[in-house]
Amino acid sequence: MPTHTPSFPDLLFGDAARLRRWETLLMAHLDRAGYRELHPSLVMRNPANPSTVRFFDGDQLVALRWDFTEALARTLVRRFQDPPPRLSYAGPVFRRPTNFWDPVERFEVGCENIQTDRDQRLEADRELAGLLMAVPALLGLEGCLLHIGHAALLRRPLEAEQVPAELALELARVLDRRAIHRAADLLAGHPAKDRLLAHAEILLSGPNGAGSLDDLARGPYGALLEAEAGQLRRVLERLSAHLPPGLTLRLDMGDLRGLSFYTGPTLRLWAPGAQRELAAGGRYDGLFPEMGRPWYAAGFCVRLTTLLELGDAKEDA
Amino acid sequence: MTKPLLIALPKGRLEEELLPRLRGSAFELDPKALKSRRLRIPMADPQLSAILLKGADLPRYVAGGVAALGVVGSDILDETPVDLMELGDLDFGVCRMCLCAPDGTTLDQLLAKPHLRIATKFLMGTGRWLAQEGVTAELVPLQSSVELAPVLGLADAIVDLVQSGRTLQAHHLGVVTVLGRASARLVACRGTYLSEPDRIGPLARALAGLLKAAPAAAQG
Repeated sequence: MPTHTPSFPDLLFGDAARLRRWETLLMAHLDRAGYRELHPSLVMRNPANPSTVRFFDGDQLVALRWDFTEALARTLVRRFQDPPPRLSYAGPVFRRPTNFWDPVERFEVGCENIQTDRDQRLEADRELAGLLMAVPALLGLEGCLLHIGHAALLRRPLEAEQVPAELALELARVLDRRAIHRAADLLAGHPAKDRLLAHAEILLSGPNGAGSLDDLARGPYGALLEAEAGQLRRVLERLSAHLPPGLTLRLDMGDLRGLSFYTGPTLRLWAPGAQRELAAGGRYDGLFPEMGRPWYAAGFCVRLTTLLELGDAKEDA
Repeated sequence: MTKPLLIALPKGRLEEELLPRLRGSAFELDPKALKSRRLRIPMADPQLSAILLKGADLPRYVAGGVAALGVVGSDILDETPVDLMELGDLDFGVCRMCLCAPDGTTLDQLLAKPHLRIATKFLMGTGRWLAQEGVTAELVPLQSSVELAPVLGLADAIVDLVQSGRTLQAHHLGVVTVLGRASARLVACRGTYLSEPDRIGPLARALAGLLKAAPAAAQG
């Protein structure tokens, strides 16, 4: 498509200085918590995803790094017998966005917490949420919202009802758009249609705090999701007790983005006026087992490009 | 002080059904401004204003965060790959998306053609249907007066929205098969909806309730 959109933006003096300052602030924040930096190569091999920026290196198809989490995972399984527990990263990723006017080259700072024992997972999730909650104050942002979701709230009912994988992904896609009417069309003729739609109504009822967990318990999959609901309730209670001033915590059971990747609690940080989330992350316990390692992992990344866009609207925080 | 919110409303096919539903509500458009050439129209609630846009442009304004909410046909949404929230089917402006051909033509006859040509402005929706049916065809992109294409031999068939069917009749065309249903949808900017839920959520619910109500009830 012919376009003059800055897919690969040049950052001039102000933006370049802001980017450097935010990277330094956030990496120091992660360093203080024991996260050590890894810098995977900018070039990745075996790019299957068509949204990547691909090119030939000789006769081999490669791509610019499209995702730090996957790049780090490839490095770790290749280079480490036991995983380093805490990692951080900073730099650009290149991925074609849904909105064609959004940049392809995006700057991120993030971290990853890897566990070898499943019992360590809850504490790791809490640690990551605590680190993320401190980010708005570090960047001088006020009025931010931290949304907590859980990928299993949709995944487990779909598995229990034996919804085919392709249909499950399409359902997650339309429900992520809050388009429950489209979910009804997709489920036409499915024996569990009424149950799944009643459940989707509960998930999409809006980010309204722990009250919606009671609705979930009364819903068609209340018993199935008892453990996840309990986990979310405990996470919300714990985080509410340590909430920094100026940050609002919300349960958003309708956060279904990345259903094929996330397996547990998800985090999204929103700033007023931002068109994309400022930070996103969660638990993805399926990643390392797919690469042959029995490790559990969770992490988040701060999207500095979103911050730069916010900076266009208001002066540097 | 909070910034006034913009709501993107469609010009054309959906506009006639939509505007009466807003009368007497906080979303009613200023009648004087509506009669003028202004494209940004104040609403009864001074914190709200509307922009009137062609359907094809509307998703871009909402996804880009210029307008917080919008009303647009699902036919347009399905042709526009942008990231926005689709909060409800408003159940008006209902049409069928149909494959149409000269009177008497059957689907089997069309599929038997060695080189099937289909004229349409709904390229993505038609492409998805062809893929689903396992059919190969040449898509002829047209923006308007699509019914002329089979009449004048530019294409064997068309895919278009059918409401009453009178335009088809006038060109001696008939519906061969129905691809789907199109209707007006309430959409929201993802960023605004999720970062300002207390402001946008109630407004979206009020607008959806109003637009889904029968026009007579909406006028009170």
